[in-house]
Amino acid sequence: MSLALAALVTAAALVAAASQEQTAPANTAELAKNWTPPRTPDGQPDLQGIWTNYTSTPFEVPDKSDTPELYSGDLDGTGRGTGPAAFLTDSSDRQLTKTTSLVVDPPNGRVPIMPWAEERRNYKLAHVQDDWENHTPWERCITRGVPGGLFPAGYGSGYQILQSPGYVAIVYEMIHEARIIPLDGRPHVGASVRLWNGDSRGHWEGNTLVVDITGYNDKGTVATNVATQRVRAIPQSEELHVVERFTRVDENTINYDVVVDDPRVFTSPWKVAMPLRREPDYQLFEYACHEGNHAVPNTLSAGRARDKAARGAKAQ
Amino acid sequence: MQNWLKGAVIALVSAAGTLAISQTIRGPVEGRTPDTRVLRTADGKPNLNGIWQVVGSANWNLQDHQARTGPVLELGAILAVPAGLSVVEGNEIPYQPWAAARQKENYENWLSRDPEVKCYLPGLPRATYMPYPFQILQTGNNDILMAYEYASASRVIKMGKVEPPPVDTWMGQSAGRWEGDTLVVDVTGLNDQTWFDRAGNFHSEALHVVERFTPVSPDLLDYQVTIEDPKVFTRPWKIQMPLYRRQDKGAQLLEFKCVEFVEEMMYGDLRKKTGKEKPFRAARLRWP
Repeated sequence: MSLALAALVTAAALVAAASQEQTAPANTAELAKNWTPPRTPDGQPDLQGIWTNYTSTPFEVPDKSDTPELYSGDLDGTGRGTGPAAFLTDSSDRQLTKTTSLVVDPPNGRVPIMPWAEERRNYKLAHVQDDWENHTPWERCITRGVPGGLFPAGYGSGYQILQSPGYVAIVYEMIHEARIIPLDGRPHVGASVRLWNGDSRGHWEGNTLVVDITGYNDKGTVATNVATQRVRAIPQSEELHVVERFTRVDENTINYDVVVDDPRVFTSPWKVAMPLRREPDYQLFEYACHEGNHAVPNTLSAGRARDKAARGAKAQ
Repeated sequence: MQNWLKGAVIALVSAAGTLAISQTIRGPVEGRTPDTRVLRTADGKPNLNGIWQVVGSANWNLQDHQARTGPVLELGAILAVPAGLSVVEGNEIPYQPWAAARQKENYENWLSRDPEVKCYLPGLPRATYMPYPFQILQTGNNDILMAYEYASASRVIKMGKVEPPPVDTWMGQSAGRWEGDTLVVDVTGLNDQTWFDRAGNFHSEALHVVERFTPVSPDLLDYQVTIEDPKVFTRPWKIQMPLYRRQDKGAQLLEFKCVEFVEEMMYGDLRKKTGKEKPFRAARLRWP
């Protein structure tokens, strides 16, 4: 069987499965009951280890109005794609979520983005040659953000979770970030401290780690990578409020779900549900991004060369 | 082992020990009686959890240095260089002659050469004594995380046996082990891009760093490092400094994501001009 055919068959199976199991992520509480997680010495449910988030499930349910290059296939005859194009993922054979999209709420699998935010995203992406601030913070090597840093990027997909008394830490392979979440109930930092990744405060609800994040700056974006399709480069405001839930439902799976609410940017809160898979042999490499960032200066210098050529043409 | 050989080895080891002690210039003396107040984890290991920071000016210059004017005239006393005593055992960094010349050149061209100016990852051991806090997360099982506020740098120290690092990186590969109450971290796989301080002290990719974190009291760690690089130095050399616990109420690592502070410097001439730019005032640099 050719690879392309295999992909189509897989996609068909996916669509079939999805129609039956659209509610799968909602079952986290049910699943978690069937498995007792190990505990850390200080009594926290143990989430420690190396996890990856490879998936072939598209971020949103594709729509005819989307940029066609982002999708492949036309199985239902509507012209609608069935999944991310192959270049968006290096792992088309693994870790299907059995849902049509990682966005599970609203039920149509589409993030409710306000029109102004889409316009701003469109402007910025069309003008990356003008100014580095039109690039996403990921391209600038600042951060993939929270929760954006946990959304699949297709590579650099390793995460290590470590726990010590009173803390959970998540080490992100891509862009070498160590996010430290205090569990001691301390209040959020003052409102004048704005952060790219917001200020995380965690607590345990049964076996679920719940993390509340506020205090964002308005310079970041909710998602940074092409794999997040239409949501990539959508701005975030200082009113962004994120609640993440990490529940280990078996030895090899953490169900991660996150509710994103930004009343300036989205018409309603939306939710992503996706698994993190334990992959103990995965080796996290150093993602020294800024140190080798040729993308930003090369893009800008191409823009200036273009401007110069245009001026030359005008002069003639 | 033959008895005579045993004797010789013991004599050598004692001599080395005496030498080490006699050359210790400051800070806690090796081998002192452990403080009974040292915090411990459930399994009896010293508990290094917390937020730590160096006090001092090692990041300006590992060696003895007097105060001097800063690089930017307009900044006056701000960013002038504070004086500091050497954290280098014996104060001498044993450069090979070519490397001593290179260090001098680096010192004179600090602003254009120091990777810190560009917000690059600091490498080891410099990450430890950058003027920003770092947090140690010691897990119940195995790995130890050290997360640095500067540039969101971090490293996971793998305890026990590890494979050699497959590639050289800015932060290297850290392998840890306990020797009594001391966390010993063996760092290999470092690239040649980082410096030791703002005074141009440098190394090659042959750098091998061995760090020793020893709790002295609940809020004080003794930090000793042996630095070895046969391509640059004539012998291994050591630095030593105390690390203090940050005791501020609610202390937490904040963000020092400095990339955005250096983009104008690195890419400013490539930005499309809109005509609305607020011009920078010309700063007068004292140093190149």
